Amino acid sequence: MVTGNSHLSMKTITLCAMETRKTGKIDRLETKNPGILQKLMAMGILPGMPITLLRKSPSYLFEVDQTRYAVDREIANHIYVSC
Amino acid sequence: MKLPVICSEKECCCGKKECTPGKGLPKIILIGNPNVGKSSLFNALSGSYTLVSNYPGTSVEITHGKARIGEREYEIIDTPGMYSLLPVSEEERVSQLLLFEEKASVYLHVIDARNLRRMLSFTLQLLEAELPLILVLNMMDEAEERGIEINISELSRSLGIPVIGTVSSEGKGIEELKAAISEFTLENNAQKFRQKMDYGSKIEPYIEAVEGLLEPSEEAEISTGISRRAISLLMHQEDRTAFEYLRRAEKTPGYWDERHEKNSEEIRKLVKAASKISEVPLSYLFTLKRQEHVNGIVEQVMEMPERSENKSSENAGKIRAEDDTGKNGSKIQSINLAFPEKIDSILIHPVLGIPALFLILYFGLYLFVGVFAAGTVVDYLENTVFGGYINPFVTAKFISLVPYPALQDLFVGEYGIFTQAVTYAIALILPIVGAFFLVFSIIEDTGYLPRLGLLLDSMFKKIGLSGRAVIPMVLGFGCSTMATMVTRTLETKRERLIANILLALAIPCSAQLGIILSILSRNPESLLIWSVVILLEFVLIGFLASRVLPGEAPTFILEMPPLRKPKLSNILVKTYSRMHWYFLEVLPLFVLASVLIWIGRLTGLFAFALKIIEYPTVWIGLPPDAADVFLFGFFRRDFGAAGLYGMHDSGLLTGVQLVVAAITLTLFMPCIAQFMMTIKERGFKTALAISGFIFPFAFLTGFIVNTILKALGVSL
Ligand SMILES: Nc1nc2c(ncn2[C@@H]2O[C@H](COP(=O)(O)OP(=O)(O)O)[C@@H](O)[C@H]2O)c(=O)[nH]1
Ligand SMILES: [Mg+2]
Repeated sequence: MVTGNSHLSMKTITLCAMETRKTGKIDRLETKNPGILQKLMAMGILPGMPITLLRKSPSYLFEVDQTRYAVDREIANHIYVSC
Repeated sequence: MKLPVICSEKECCCGKKECTPGKGLPKIILIGNPNVGKSSLFNALSGSYTLVSNYPGTSVEITHGKARIGEREYEIIDTPGMYSLLPVSEEERVSQLLLFEEKASVYLHVIDARNLRRMLSFTLQLLEAELPLILVLNMMDEAEERGIEINISELSRSLGIPVIGTVSSEGKGIEELKAAISEFTLENNAQKFRQKMDYGSKIEPYIEAVEGLLEPSEEAEISTGISRRAISLLMHQEDRTAFEYLRRAEKTPGYWDERHEKNSEEIRKLVKAASKISEVPLSYLFTLKRQEHVNGIVEQVMEMPERSENKSSENAGKIRAEDDTGKNGSKIQSINLAFPEKIDSILIHPVLGIPALFLILYFGLYLFVGVFAAGTVVDYLENTVFGGYINPFVTAKFISLVPYPALQDLFVGEYGIFTQAVTYAIALILPIVGAFFLVFSIIEDTGYLPRLGLLLDSMFKKIGLSGRAVIPMVLGFGCSTMATMVTRTLETKRERLIANILLALAIPCSAQLGIILSILSRNPESLLIWSVVILLEFVLIGFLASRVLPGEAPTFILEMPPLRKPKLSNILVKTYSRMHWYFLEVLPLFVLASVLIWIGRLTGLFAFALKIIEYPTVWIGLPPDAADVFLFGFFRRDFGAAGLYGMHDSGLLTGVQLVVAAITLTLFMPCIAQFMMTIKERGFKTALAISGFIFPFAFLTGFIVNTILKALGVSL
């Protein structure tokens, strides 16, 4: 588990639970698979970064900083967002 | 196989498949994330051409070129994209190994200016590795379009290295970069390239201790371009390559002198201890620390336009357009962004995306490749140009000049080198492959492929693949061999294997597909049956493989590059380079086939082989004469398809037989090159197992389809 600055006043939900077109801040990444975590971090999906969910289907599409990423539900479930 | 680097200087690699110009010269190595424009920059600097496309994972191999910069010549090396010094996938490891093994005069870290915040972290890692570094901010045009401003000189000052802004696809900033490289190498690394990052008092002692222990004795043989601190950091993140380095150090007599024999043991202990005292895995700690540092720098040097909170993909452009009306000129630019957004949202729409895909397939593949190129153009070339003029002329000339029937047979006979091999290659394969690669290049350069990955991910999951595998699968329609290599970009071994099997079995390659489309398109029902059977096969085998093969289900993460307008020059060069490569790939094999058949016919072996293949041929309901189509198919399945084209032309097959033959041939192994590539990527046993499965299975499917069609009384 990797935590950024937690915002106690805000709620923390997974990317899956987020509404599309909403912006939040990545709170933490939670996964047991070190490969996935490593990949997410290397790609710049890091705690503290602002994140905007653009789409939930056919897969999850979101924007972090200036880049868009497509991920599946499995991965989206590991990304916790505070908003 | 590897695409040739097209060199401007012909002498360096004439005729050779592998081109390694500039060996022995001082080196320039290009490093950076996938899809930031490294290959474009390579092309701009070297005057050679290596593939450039708009999706992550275009380059999965290292490419060498030669560049003249100022007074000096350099060897310039393009690498597969990597996200950080710690690799996750195979193609990243290729680049990491290169960094460990080569020592270059200059390293160019290429980043996408827009994504400075995300990519600067890797720059810091490279500085920790103490590589002589120049930072290239590429895609300055796209950053500007989005209203991003970067203070380059300030960035250069805070990093302590030269920073150059470029638009490598347009050639902008290249002269400045060249000047920087010249100046940089002249200085001869006077300054120390070091950004000291502090990872915290808890862990620093361990990092430094390992770093110290790694120090070799004076006369140690092995060396690497990477600093010991970077290796130490990698070890603390359990990196395979770093430990491999340690193992090599252990095996190298004299790496440490006697007093330090225990060093490697000590190192392993330290690494274990460090991971125990940290609550979070060290790679995350390091990444977060670096990002903090990056954020500090970015705040100083980068300005971004304010962004609207509730932004949607559909009206992002619009909102920005409204926000920006105050600023001069930016309104128009923002509207320019709105149109691609619209298209984008259709392409990846869960419902609209499917008809969009079919439209692309219908116009691009069916009409342009199948009907126009494989139909009209091939017809003209094959029957009029070659059949009507060239072949009769050459045959007559040859026969009058060379009075030996055996030789006549070899060159201009039924299976002759000229009348069959060359004719097939030029009149049949080349136009089809050319048309296909043209369409394909356009699709690649727009950035459609990652979108297709997004669209199909959930369907691909059912066959054990992720949406990422869409890219090698689609590439397979161009050439299975290339695609097999690109399976490297897939994350797990299991996924790579399934992708490999499906590529070998159910994805027809361009030449074969074109021919089959053209043969079957005269009867839409045949085409439908063929497509349905191949698709079913693809799904069935994928499904079974995902059930049978052990391992975890795949996950899907893919970066989505912006939709870009393809550049005509890139499309043309890319199409040309692929055609060139394909032609060199097929022609020798076609000629070899002609020669083998000729020898076979002289010795009677040909007839013998045909006799054997006649059994399965007749078994699936084809006339015995069709056996040579399958014999050709063993060489290459497009060669078999070409044979089928010949049989069809002479009207020897019924509609049902044609469909059955087309299906069976499609399922064959692609070619020897693909087989070799499978050996290289998956190992000999796996490659053999795949082909041992495929050939009988292809005939079995042919048999089943024939039986069903017969039983239903279908006539086509
Ligand atoms: N707008 C813009 N596009 C670029 C630039 N450089 C490269 N591209 C495009 O970005 C995509 C990726 O380029 P490529 O050289 O293959 O990136 P690589 O994966 O890092 O080798 C291609 O579609 C290029 O045409 C640039 O400076 N500006
Ligand atoms: Mg590249």
